Amino acid sequence: MTDCGCEKAKAELEEYLHRELSDQDFRDITEHLAGCEDCSAEHLIGLTLTERVRRACKETAPEELRVAILAKITSRV
Amino acid sequence: MPTLTMPRLDSSPMSDTDTSEIDTTSEISETTAERRLRFEREALPFMDQLYAAAMRMTRNPQDAGDLVQETFIKAFQAFDQFQPGTNLKAWLYRIQTNTFINIYRKKQRDPYQGSIDELEEWQLGGAESATASHSRSAEAEAIDHLPDSDVKDALQSIPEDFRLAVYLADVEGFAYQEIADIMKTPVGTVMSRLHRGRKLLRERLRDYAIGRGIVAADPAPTAPTTGAATTETTS
Repeated sequence: MTDCGCEKAKAELEEYLHRELSDQDFRDITEHLAGCEDCSAEHLIGLTLTERVRRACKETAPEELRVAILAKITSRV
Repeated sequence: MPTLTMPRLDSSPMSDTDTSEIDTTSEISETTAERRLRFEREALPFMDQLYAAAMRMTRNPQDAGDLVQETFIKAFQAFDQFQPGTNLKAWLYRIQTNTFINIYRKKQRDPYQGSIDELEEWQLGGAESATASHSRSAEAEAIDHLPDSDVKDALQSIPEDFRLAVYLADVEGFAYQEIADIMKTPVGTVMSRLHRGRKLLRERLRDYAIGRGIVAADPAPTAPTTGAATTETTS
């Protein structure tokens, strides 16, 4: 097993994060991250960014919108 | 006023509800009442998610509400064309994104939009590479501790196409190919928008974190180091 190296890992971290890599590439990057402090610190920022954005974007639709949409749909029978 | 070309958009008047799976409609005929019930049961639960996306698209509750309403009305009208078993959430997002692009974007056109994909890397700035790993863990922590309002402001401040790509990937977890279908762009464009969008977002968040004194500013020559925001020199 050979380490894929920082260059490949850094270039593919975003696809890694979004699970867009092939199984082989995914394993390679996982393995590299386990042994590379620099790349895993970079990966942690990416993960945190995703998680933080997801958390900040939570919304609940206003009740009156729900009512209005139901009314529109019902009237369009 | 300069006219901006938007090459990624289809110029043909296309239905917002076009789907590639129309041709294989099921033979089971369904009454309108049955279809309405099925729509209420299957599609309406996505309302909170679509509203959250609409808030990030339109930037205000009034337009967001209108957009979601428009989306559900269009979706309901086209619901017999939706093939059960395929991705309903992606289908709804496609309708909402197209509706947004066709209606709302015209109202609030950002002069930045037309050439955004052609912006060079250097114009977008950014230099995460030289940062030492200890300050990176500080950066991750700072991002985590920023208030929601900062994160939303940062998201609003990045160009729309970037924002949409980031939203669809990071908040909704759509695959790159699904985002490409929703935004009607090649996958390569999605990747580029995502990459640039996340990079800009990270920079904005770092600025907010520095502004709030959560993280130390890099000792760059242009940085206004007052000493108050730097933790490294005092510890």
